[in-house]
Amino acid sequence: MCLWLNFEKNCVATLGICTNKTSSILTTEAVNRPFLYPVSKTCFRSRTSARVKMKRSKGGGDEEAPRHNGSAGRRKADQQQSDGDEGGSDIGPADLQDDDNDQGLRREIRSKYRDLISSVQQNREDMLSPSNNKLTEVLEEANKLFKDVRQAREAALDAQLLVVATDLGKEKASQLFSEGTAFDPTAFAEHLLSFMGLNRLEDDEDEQQNTANGYLPQDAWHRLARRAECCFRTAPSFHYMMGSFYAEPPPPKQRIERQRKAPSKEAKRIMPTQLKKMEESQQEATEKEVERILGYLKSYYQDDPTSPISYYEFVIDPSSFSRTVENIFHTSFLIRDGLARMYLDEEKLPCIGEMILLCPSQELIDAFDIKDSIIRPPNTQND
Amino acid sequence: EDDDATFTQPSTSQVQRGLEKLTPAQVDQKTAEVVQYFLVKDQKKMPVRRADLVKHVVKDYRNIYPEILKRAARTFDQVFGLKLVEIDPKNKMYILVNNLETPDKASPVSPSNPKMGLLLAILSVIFMKGGVVRESEYLIWNTLRKLRVDPGEKHEEFGDVRKMVTDEFVRQRYLEYVRIPHTEPIEHEFRWGQRADAEVSKAKILEFMGELHEQDPKTWTQQYRQAHSLPNSSQASTSSSSQR
Repeated sequence: MCLWLNFEKNCVATLGICTNKTSSILTTEAVNRPFLYPVSKTCFRSRTSARVKMKRSKGGGDEEAPRHNGSAGRRKADQQQSDGDEGGSDIGPADLQDDDNDQGLRREIRSKYRDLISSVQQNREDMLSPSNNKLTEVLEEANKLFKDVRQAREAALDAQLLVVATDLGKEKASQLFSEGTAFDPTAFAEHLLSFMGLNRLEDDEDEQQNTANGYLPQDAWHRLARRAECCFRTAPSFHYMMGSFYAEPPPPKQRIERQRKAPSKEAKRIMPTQLKKMEESQQEATEKEVERILGYLKSYYQDDPTSPISYYEFVIDPSSFSRTVENIFHTSFLIRDGLARMYLDEEKLPCIGEMILLCPSQELIDAFDIKDSIIRPPNTQND
Repeated sequence: EDDDATFTQPSTSQVQRGLEKLTPAQVDQKTAEVVQYFLVKDQKKMPVRRADLVKHVVKDYRNIYPEILKRAARTFDQVFGLKLVEIDPKNKMYILVNNLETPDKASPVSPSNPKMGLLLAILSVIFMKGGVVRESEYLIWNTLRKLRVDPGEKHEEFGDVRKMVTDEFVRQRYLEYVRIPHTEPIEHEFRWGQRADAEVSKAKILEFMGELHEQDPKTWTQQYRQAHSLPNSSQASTSSSSQR
């Protein structure tokens, strides 16, 4: 239940009390202050229609008695006299048993509370002064009064006094700290912006809102950071001077590849690129080489049809033995296929020449009248 | 923290006996490892916990732990000009701070970290406001907003500002962002962290205030008193925790 008390016009404070229990308990038992006063901000914000304006009561001995929902039950007897008293209370019958003496005491307590409240409010400047302890005296007085508090109405007054007193206390405390120049965070921010190099726009109209104008340079925060270095004893961070090493393959791999590519530009290679051989089948490579050598042979004969080519001159590669062997190997295919012929010249040196015939085997057989092969093939049966 | 709970500081005699069983080279090696561990941990400005140090580095040499730490502290001092500071005697946490005087000007060589600029602004506000600022006063966030840093938006230089202030700076012990008890809804307050107490000079901050506002630092009497009265006001000593 949320009780709202709005006192008469010369009381400034508005107080809200938030309780979870019904107010019948409040009125019959001695009020436990901490229980009663978790005066939270949510309570202040959630104003409900339960707020009741105080009115002067009619009849009875009550002067300026605050009325609230909580004691609506208690005031049932007076209800005919009250106007605009909003209903609903959970007060039980126990609190209706007041005798006159007690009523007098209640009034006295309430009156004293109100005096205290007004004294705090009216002598505010005086109480703020750090030279006296008037605020403490007021609180001590309130503590004495509190001992006799039995009902919610007095407790509410006590709460109001506490609110006023703590507010004053807070201001007193902050005043203590701002002895000397006060610190203005807005001015601080403005000065910082200037320090960081804010380029303010030249515009008189915008002087009021110059926080929204201008732009900070790129290194604004770095400027401030450098200034911070003069105030901080930060240990410099440890880093390896040459950086750390990468776990990647080093560049020389590329250089090796380039070195390999360069020799291939030469016409004759010392070592053949194995990769090339592996890509193509052995047979194709051989065939290509044979064709290539045939090309050389033909071009030689085109240039000089009459002069014979020395076999040795043809096949030998003076810079590479293995190449020579390959040349002999490939040339032998030419001879096998009848595209070239080998013969001995006048000095009994082997020479290599072209064969014009494409199908040499039959012609050769006729020319030499070969009837039988001298070398018997291994699989033929004996006649 | 289990390791730390079971780690009892060996006595002086235990340390002596432990040292006798080891060669000087071994002890030096272990000291060097501890030094390197600290230096690397310090890159991110995260404090080092004793439990981690013992578990990951000291290991079998834990019986001579105090001697190792003593030698490491000496190395930091004599070789690097750094001070090994215990910022939390209860939880046994250590940081490294610079043993040299704060420079008059920033080093022209090393690059500056813009986060330190932001931190300076925040620490200044907290100090000038008496050492505690409630988050609900919006003082910190509003000041940042005036400086064009909105905690609600991603900043191009700082990224998630809120996280940086309430998480990163807190883990580094530059700030404390503590819950105020008995508040509903939960409220927090900002204070200087233990690292800030050890590293940051209040006197220098006040000097900076004076420059900004073109005032004598003495005009802020309360803060001036705080910055200059206590001998340990600007840095913590090695053995005791920092004063607030």
